[in-house]
Amino acid sequence: MKPIFDLRNVSYSYVGKIDALKDVSLKIDLGERVCIIGSNGSGKSTLLAILNGLVYPTSGEFYAFDNQITEEAFDSIKDNEFRTYFRTKVGFVFQNSDVQLFSPTVFQEIAFGPLQLDLPPDEVKTRVEDVLEMMQITKLRDRSPHTLSGGEKKKVCIASVLVNNPDVLLLDEPSAGLDPRTQLWLVELLQELGEAGKTVITATHDLEIIDQISKRAIVMGEDHMVKEDGETQKVLDDLALLLSVNLVHEHMHFHGKTVHEHVHAHMDGHTHEHGTH
Amino acid sequence: MIPDWMKDVDASPCKCSATRHGKKGFVGKTIDGIFGFLEEAFVSETYSKKNGLLQSLDARAKLVSILAVIFATSMIGDLRILIFVYLLTLLFSFLSQIPVLFFIKRVWLFIPVFAGIIALPMIFNIFIPGDPLLPVLTLGPGAHLGPFSLPEDIYITSQGVNAAIIFTVRVAACVSAVVLLFLTTPQQILFKSLRTVGVPKIYVLTLEMAYRYIFLLMDLIREMYIAKKARTIRARGMLEEQKWVGGRMGYTLIRSIDMSEKVHMAMMSRGFSGEVKIMQEFKMQSRDYAAGAMAISLGVVLVLISHGVLRV
Repeated sequence: MKPIFDLRNVSYSYVGKIDALKDVSLKIDLGERVCIIGSNGSGKSTLLAILNGLVYPTSGEFYAFDNQITEEAFDSIKDNEFRTYFRTKVGFVFQNSDVQLFSPTVFQEIAFGPLQLDLPPDEVKTRVEDVLEMMQITKLRDRSPHTLSGGEKKKVCIASVLVNNPDVLLLDEPSAGLDPRTQLWLVELLQELGEAGKTVITATHDLEIIDQISKRAIVMGEDHMVKEDGETQKVLDDLALLLSVNLVHEHMHFHGKTVHEHVHAHMDGHTHEHGTH
Repeated sequence: MIPDWMKDVDASPCKCSATRHGKKGFVGKTIDGIFGFLEEAFVSETYSKKNGLLQSLDARAKLVSILAVIFATSMIGDLRILIFVYLLTLLFSFLSQIPVLFFIKRVWLFIPVFAGIIALPMIFNIFIPGDPLLPVLTLGPGAHLGPFSLPEDIYITSQGVNAAIIFTVRVAACVSAVVLLFLTTPQQILFKSLRTVGVPKIYVLTLEMAYRYIFLLMDLIREMYIAKKARTIRARGMLEEQKWVGGRMGYTLIRSIDMSEKVHMAMMSRGFSGEVKIMQEFKMQSRDYAAGAMAISLGVVLVLISHGVLRV
């Protein structure tokens, strides 16, 4: 199978000075479930923005669906067949819900995407109603985004992307700020989408959920390079690797599948023995 | 991990007691004032949800009707007809279940500020010559203000007063009509209805987005102010406060630019390509057409009466 995304030696720097990605090469196949993990500022969000064709590599090449994505080919004002195809195929849930919720009501917000894709109004309506029901947010239908709670905003964001029925889903820190119940709901949703054959690419540093939502983990280092690209479980077992990219603290352990943190006060020369848990 | 000085804990009781120390600082007052106004102006959608006459009309019919009334009003020169139009707006506010007193207050809040300043000079003979009504002061011959020569006597003219009153009532009638429209129509439907009078989609979308993000920026500013208050241990001077406000203005601008870029990305990500596609969900009924037709013909009749073509 041909990969849907193919990054070849991609680097990206903001205003030509601040490095966000360095020499990243990776391929992603259709239907894969991938997690991009890394500490704050390691370049996860930038990588997702490149995968969504929102920013373009400063150097290196990015191919999606066998086409090279460049600013010249992608950022034209005129109608662009490939871009429409790409936007229909790939959905992006942003980290900050507020940038994604720009319409006056929840209904209009969710209808925005399908309308841009020229679906007939009746189908748009049916789709929006279906998604509202699936996400259990029908009661929010006529509310303004600024009156919603954090969790509700996130649900509306996800709904507004899923309504386009993208085959590839990019999510930037989707579980951040959600209560445990909503987090679990999100994990189940992503699992279901993955089982339906969607490609789910999630950037996160929530180690508790990654083995539930992905089979493959890409680890970004603080030097903005890919440190590891392999099976999620293997990555999670590699404490030395996770320590080296500053994702975990040395007092963090896994109990079976769950991450466990100990809070320690370092007084009076206290030391802590590992491996006893 | 923590330095030694941080290990000190002061457990002694407080030696002072809380007393009142005069007024709020100017920053807090200003922020409260502006936000109070915005919230009252925008968030108060309570009237638009009531079951009144204007609320039941289609937004497009309402918009066209009110524009017709405003056009007509701006062409009417007869004080009695203007007063009639104003009283008509009061009647409609009553029929739309808006408390008339609240409605009058809401409208006349703006009139002194805008119309008053423009209309006030009109009453003096410097601008509109006419019959003296009330002498103000005598300057004597050859008086001038810079390059402008002034008349010997300055007085209030009856024509001037008449013109000022007509102007003010006209503004009052127009503002009343617009306020009626705003109070009885939910914001997002009002914006959408602008499309029907030929406002391009992109402007309507921009308007809607601006309206949506006002609240976000409002929260941002409020949070910055509260965060500052939480860390302000000693009262600071006016100059310091002004400096802070200046700095925050710049920061808010940068934040809003950054945000607008991200919002654009989020729009592109969902297929936006410069051309806006929105759903039209209006249903015009025969009574909406009737309302529009009535408003337009009323406007025409009033203008004709005012210009002496029609006699009553």
